[in-house]
Amino acid sequence: MSSNYKTSFKAYTAWNYEREIEDLNKASEKSWQLVKGGCFHSRFVKNPDVHYRYQLDFGRIEDMGRYIETFREQGWEYINSTFNGWHYFRKLYDPSQPEESYEIFTDRESLHEMNNRWARLALILGIILAAFAVFYAVRSFTHLTIPSLIRFFMFLIESALLLRGWFIMRNPESSRNRRGDGAIFAIFLSVIILGAGISIILEGQRPHMWTTQQASSIDQPIIDNRWNDFDVKYADNYYLDLKLEAPAPMTFEIVNDAGEAVFTQTATAFDEKNIRLKLPRGHYQFSISCTTGYYVYCDLD
Amino acid sequence: MKRIEPLSESYYYILLCLAKGANHGYGIMQMTEKLSGGDVKIGSGTMYGATGNMMKKGWIREIMSDEPGLERRRLYQLTDSGRKALRAEINRLQRMLENAEGV
Repeated sequence: MSSNYKTSFKAYTAWNYEREIEDLNKASEKSWQLVKGGCFHSRFVKNPDVHYRYQLDFGRIEDMGRYIETFREQGWEYINSTFNGWHYFRKLYDPSQPEESYEIFTDRESLHEMNNRWARLALILGIILAAFAVFYAVRSFTHLTIPSLIRFFMFLIESALLLRGWFIMRNPESSRNRRGDGAIFAIFLSVIILGAGISIILEGQRPHMWTTQQASSIDQPIIDNRWNDFDVKYADNYYLDLKLEAPAPMTFEIVNDAGEAVFTQTATAFDEKNIRLKLPRGHYQFSISCTTGYYVYCDLD
Repeated sequence: MKRIEPLSESYYYILLCLAKGANHGYGIMQMTEKLSGGDVKIGSGTMYGATGNMMKKGWIREIMSDEPGLERRRLYQLTDSGRKALRAEINRLQRMLENAEGV
């Protein structure tokens, strides 16, 4: 690729689209002409002989042909659209034309409609993300784990940022053109990528043990009482569902490599879910000491 | 009867420009500027949104031009209900003016 092209990775939040337009206009003055606008990166070509003015529109376009024609009629050239519904236009700059001829929204109503199209999406998405945050917050009362805590904060931060964007877009006079825009965008993206990635990896490393053991008759001899082992890769809360039935008291244990029982339950009948075990990293084994005729169901994650 | 919502300036001028016959977006924009003495301008984004909304309301419809030199050009045409909406708005504006004169 020749040096006549350049890619810019400058990102803007939706509520600062006006600053993006300003920056595109300035770039054009410095002979860098936008050829493809994007959320994450934009492509420019060097051409010192032309000077463009840019505009951005947002929304789902029902009739692309009519849309492009309506803009072309007033000298706007359609550049491209991003996957999430931003549309880029440019118009050759003619200093003899009044500044208003470079506006695409010429009344308050239509500008608000455009802002509201984005704000509505941000509100819906923000509420969905907030609902996930509430879900993980409630779940943490009974089922607190590191991955679920990460997910809680991930959804909380994302919904807060989106709802803030919704508010700014709905009240454009209040706080347009805030600084620190790139930082907000970077935080949002890294929270999504890191939060989702780390919680998926940690979730995948948890032992997902599930087993039932049943002796078919009272006459059956005692079998080898160690039948299952598992690894805990990182210290966290782990949750055990346990059901025991036996004709005489039996003992269920989770034993670590040092031979110490980290969990013990002795009963003839026992049925409990979500027993919280704080387990350090290590290797563990289930063990039962029992008579014949027992039934064990156990599920650990 | 449904309460008549005041039209926005852009909607009003678009309907007004179509009262005498079908026109394309650019023609509407130019005619609006001329009628209003340059006070009212209709940019492309505003034009696309307003015409789209008024087509949904059934006030205007899209037709293809068959005039020589303008073939396949998209034109907007006022419908009967669009004419009624424009008439109602003119009446409303007239009433408001008369009210002002009475003060």
